[in-house]
Amino acid sequence: MLNEFLLGVGVVTGLNAFLALLLVLAERTLSHYGPCTLTINDEKKLVVPGGQDLLSTLKREGLFIPSACGGRGSCGLCKVTVLDGGDPLATEIPWLKPEEIARHVRLACQVRIKHDLRLQLPREWFAIRQFQATVVSIRDLTHDIKELRLRLVDPPEIEFQAGQFIQLEVPPYELTDEPVYRAYSISSPPSNRREIELEIRYVPNGLCTTWVHRHLNVGDPVTFNGPYGQFVLRPGNRPIIAIAGGSGMAPLKAIFLDMAEKGIARSARYFFGARSRRDLFLVEEMKALETRIPGFQFIPALSNPLPEDRWEGETGLITEVAARHVPDASGAEAYLCGSSFLIKAAIAMLTERGMPRERIYFDDFG
Amino acid sequence: MNPFTAWFALFFAAVFTQNILLTNYLGMCPFLGASREIKTSFGLGAAVVFVMTFTTPLNWILYHRLLIPLGLEYLGLIVFICLIAAFTQLIELVIERVSDALYASLGIFLPLITVNCAILGASLFMVARSYTFLQTTAYGFGGGLGWMLAILAMAGIRQRIAKNRLPRGLEGAGIALIIAGLMAMAFTGFTGITAPS
Amino acid sequence: MKQSPELQKIQEAMRPGRLTKTGFLGSDSRPLADILAEDEATVARLGLTHAAIATRMAYFREKGEAGLGLAVDVPPHFEVRVDGVRGRLPCPFAHPGLYPKIFCQVHNQKTGETVTYSDLQIHLIGDHGFYEGRGSPYRLEPETLVQVLEITPEE
Repeated sequence: MLNEFLLGVGVVTGLNAFLALLLVLAERTLSHYGPCTLTINDEKKLVVPGGQDLLSTLKREGLFIPSACGGRGSCGLCKVTVLDGGDPLATEIPWLKPEEIARHVRLACQVRIKHDLRLQLPREWFAIRQFQATVVSIRDLTHDIKELRLRLVDPPEIEFQAGQFIQLEVPPYELTDEPVYRAYSISSPPSNRREIELEIRYVPNGLCTTWVHRHLNVGDPVTFNGPYGQFVLRPGNRPIIAIAGGSGMAPLKAIFLDMAEKGIARSARYFFGARSRRDLFLVEEMKALETRIPGFQFIPALSNPLPEDRWEGETGLITEVAARHVPDASGAEAYLCGSSFLIKAAIAMLTERGMPRERIYFDDFG
Repeated sequence: MNPFTAWFALFFAAVFTQNILLTNYLGMCPFLGASREIKTSFGLGAAVVFVMTFTTPLNWILYHRLLIPLGLEYLGLIVFICLIAAFTQLIELVIERVSDALYASLGIFLPLITVNCAILGASLFMVARSYTFLQTTAYGFGGGLGWMLAILAMAGIRQRIAKNRLPRGLEGAGIALIIAGLMAMAFTGFTGITAPS
Repeated sequence: MKQSPELQKIQEAMRPGRLTKTGFLGSDSRPLADILAEDEATVARLGLTHAAIATRMAYFREKGEAGLGLAVDVPPHFEVRVDGVRGRLPCPFAHPGLYPKIFCQVHNQKTGETVTYSDLQIHLIGDHGFYEGRGSPYRLEPETLVQVLEITPEE
């Protein structure tokens, strides 16, 4: 009896051990790809361990590719040209235009490195880094906007152009279990390389804004990467028309402070719209720029001033206010930052007043 | 009947008249849950064909060359499950290596196949009907193909009626089972070609 | 009944912390397939379709845009305010497309009730029949939407 029992158990155990061994060997040989060489732009060569996706592998090598969804294939930002990586997966195709597919554009988070690859990346991406920083101050600008000041730790300095943004990493907290990234414009000028300022407006049920407004404290460590974006001052002498609302102040503040520091003397009018006085902020700071930048005018407007505001400035929708001041926009260029419909309305208003569409620049990293 | 014809007869029976899904009602769960689209059904069906074609003969070898000589036939069920699970895992590794695109579209279905009772059912029938090795190859391949045929037909029909209004309560599983029943009846029209036992 | 792996993955994406802080399911522990089925039945009982509800929601959203964040009167007796914050969200149903974080608040001056919904929610209702799980603070009850927005069956 015992012999039969032992035989039965022995056979099943033996068989399973054999199958398990087979699987381990298979995994060893099939799932390990060894080192692969990535050749970037035909110049830079990186030797990386194969098997992972391109996005996280490059990130580990210090090369950042824009991504907002952390590699889950749901933002479509990580487009890279991969010359011998094969056809795009079903998960990528909806994000790629036919001409991009023909040019071998792939989503870096969906490309698995199995052999040597040749990549083509835009040069601007080489400047993108990941930064560790510490919170040095959290200041209320309005009832729902906080100004966050971060001091860089590693690397200790950042180089960027006024108007660019960074991606702030929100670590898992409360109910979240994965880090998430959200984009915010740098509101401090580039002359300050050791610290950056961000303006963060609280959004109900917002992942990042709830973390910043309810959980973040002075002294906490913070991770971000950047700089990103093309919303920067174009060289030249054209008069500037800037229109913004709400947290659209941030990149324009950086741009105008930068102008003041560099002594750039271009005529500029900055129209900033808010609902009532409690939504206005940094008015004195922006007004002070009028003495530092010849030809700069700061024009705040309230669309819905309350009687207790005792507001004597401009009233109405910011696009209407700007329209009143700028009957002819044909010689100027415009910088817009705000909600998509503010931008839409502003573009309509400006083109009606003669501004060519290609001279209207707006921050649309939404 | 020469062996060639016999093989084909058994193969034909496995696909049509003794269709493991429509006659024995095995493998219903993924059949009902994942048969809304032809594309996904094709992927799932192909994976089932592959696994069933190889695991059934492999299980024959294990049963007749290992278990019977040792008098351990009663361990058949456990041994079959272990082999099916290991085989499925191995196939997943191979596909992952060979083709990312195939893995992305098929991959998620492979782990599901391990629990598809049609696969286990084929091995158990192979034992119950005392098939020879050759007969097992016909039965394994035919059974898988028959399952795939059934799920493709189901997906085609469901895709066709996707926009139609159905009586409330019959949506989803209700209509799927009715379709399955009608298909099963249609397939018995092939009776006349019986499998040699 | 077990739901397909695709629906399972979508349900995962709706958990808190994936896309929004509280997620899309609230305290609802039912499978997504059941949530969708129940709301589908409710909407059918009201003699409407998801598309009809979403169309009406989008109508107010369009009218309110002109206010640039300020309330706008929409006849016969509605007040609509549309505002937005920066950033975009993907749809948890895992297809491409990012939805701006724009919120539309519709106040029915006759009944005194208000509903608020986002661009993503218009899409979730119109294209997926998804009103969010019970217990989600952002769940839109079909009956409430129909009542406040005064959606009538059109045949």
